[in-house]
Amino acid sequence: MFFTSIAMFFIAPYTAWKVHSAMRQMERNDTERIKMTAVYFVILNAVTFAISTYRGIDMRRWNPFTTTVSFRIKYIACSTVLGVLISWLLCSFLNRGITAAEIKRYSARFLSDMKKYFPYAVRAAKADLKAEVTNSFLDWMWWLIEPFCMMLIYTVMFGVVFDAAEEYFPVFIFIGITMWNFFTRGVSGSVEIVRANRSIVTRIYLPKYILLFSKLMVNGFKMFVSFAVIAAMLVVFRVRITGSILCMVPLLLVLFLITFGVGSILMHYGVYVNDLSYITGILLTMMMYLTGTFYAVAKRIPAPFGPVLEKANPVAFLIAQMRNVVLYGQALDWKILLIWCTVSVLLIWVGVFTIYRNENSYVKVI
Amino acid sequence: MIKKKYAIELQDVCINYSIMNNVSIRKNFLHKKERNEVFEAVRHVTFAVQEGDILGIIGKNGSGKSTLLKSIAGVFSPNSGTIDLKGHTVSLMSLGVGFKDLLSGRENIILSGMLLGFSEKEIEEKSQDIIDFAEIGEFIDRPVRTYSSGMYSKLAFSITAMLETDIMLVDEVLSVGDEQFRLKSLNKMKELINDRKRTVIIVSHSISTLRELCNQILWLHDGEIRRIGKPDEVLKQYAEYMAPEAKKIRQ
Repeated sequence: MFFTSIAMFFIAPYTAWKVHSAMRQMERNDTERIKMTAVYFVILNAVTFAISTYRGIDMRRWNPFTTTVSFRIKYIACSTVLGVLISWLLCSFLNRGITAAEIKRYSARFLSDMKKYFPYAVRAAKADLKAEVTNSFLDWMWWLIEPFCMMLIYTVMFGVVFDAAEEYFPVFIFIGITMWNFFTRGVSGSVEIVRANRSIVTRIYLPKYILLFSKLMVNGFKMFVSFAVIAAMLVVFRVRITGSILCMVPLLLVLFLITFGVGSILMHYGVYVNDLSYITGILLTMMMYLTGTFYAVAKRIPAPFGPVLEKANPVAFLIAQMRNVVLYGQALDWKILLIWCTVSVLLIWVGVFTIYRNENSYVKVI
Repeated sequence: MIKKKYAIELQDVCINYSIMNNVSIRKNFLHKKERNEVFEAVRHVTFAVQEGDILGIIGKNGSGKSTLLKSIAGVFSPNSGTIDLKGHTVSLMSLGVGFKDLLSGRENIILSGMLLGFSEKEIEEKSQDIIDFAEIGEFIDRPVRTYSSGMYSKLAFSITAMLETDIMLVDEVLSVGDEQFRLKSLNKMKELINDRKRTVIIVSHSISTLRELCNQILWLHDGEIRRIGKPDEVLKQYAEYMAPEAKKIRQ
């Protein structure tokens, strides 16, 4: 017991340090190592203490040697997750010393590069779509058939077998699958994207996020085809359509931005870490079940967690909102949408900066 | 004599490769970090090329020629030193790369052209010339993955030769294709030499090709400049240097 009461304070800083040194990928001397671990120790334990206090534990009378096992486990889990997150954020932003001048320079460069390479991205996306059509037997029909069949499978599985029917269940599921597919294809594709385009990357300079941007346009087009199917389904199922259906435009826009943001960050790590695609695969599968592609998160998961999970997970939030505005004629939650929009812009910003700083060495690694 | 402008200026350029940069998660967490080894591919290279000149780069395998060329093309920037292209557009021509395998040759012409900084309209105007020059017939509308390696490089050469960028970087392309296409591309290269505005850098192992085309030769040895100067002198020295080793192998 004595050992665990000491260990619970140290596991998180140790993990944080490991993440830190893995991300920085460079040698550090011992004093710096001790300093960094000490900083993590203080920050992580302070934050976890604060959270414990907030959850109703009186930390003033708390004794590490007599506390329950359950609290220890929670403490370790909470602080370790925080440790991974905080060290990752620290490495991404502060420690690399992004200066104000750099922010200005990269922002200007981002805008001019976007303008310069946008026609290429569009053309490449068109060409990819065309190639997909000419190389398959049923050509563009697949864009309709694939999501449609998925919808049938899920409708039967969850509607009949598990008895989880919502109103307009097939459309409900179809919206979920379509939007989730866009996200998951974008994110899992981004990990491999630099390697997949090595013939271009090794011959000519282009900002590497353009590759992702072009791919997202391909996926986006497929998503629009699926939405055409949704429109037909709305008619078939006689859904009462209200003016709030127009809100789907900002919803799709934010979905695009958040996918681009997450993808551009992962794309950078995908170049260096060979086995990242396994991790993203596992995480995405886990996230799929938390995102409610075939059930309503807020309704199905018991009260304090359901609504929180829905708001804390951008894709779940967007899918739920999309169903609300399209199927049930409800108003949009602008406040949270705006928050997620800001977050996704921040993510894009981080991703694009990271790419600009490191893309120089991508060619040498792949 | 009128002094010509410089088209390319390299100042003290160094390019390093870190070996062991590619990590997996297991390596990172379970093993002590192996020190990243640094391999210096190009070391303190300084030279300038005048507008309209043709520079040949020669040297043994692994002496940093292609690395230097890639870095002039902007594929990656040097670790230290500067490369100044004076605002010229640049294109790199190298073997069998730069194509999306599933797309047709025609589609690839447009995409490559756009990456080189041309607009869609400009490329469409030129695309017939490119197709004619490449002489790959009906294959132009088939996916590039069905091409033979000769067709591949013919198309690559045609794209870069017909879409005229100010600076052309040629990496061992001249020795591919059948005899007839080789003559044709040599002639095209000579035509480009007569173009006063066009600056060309050629990397090749063929002494005869370089003697025929270039008016300046750079001999790169282990990432450093060994000699730079008139073709006759430098190529003679290079041939003398390489001769004993070739002799050894023949025996």
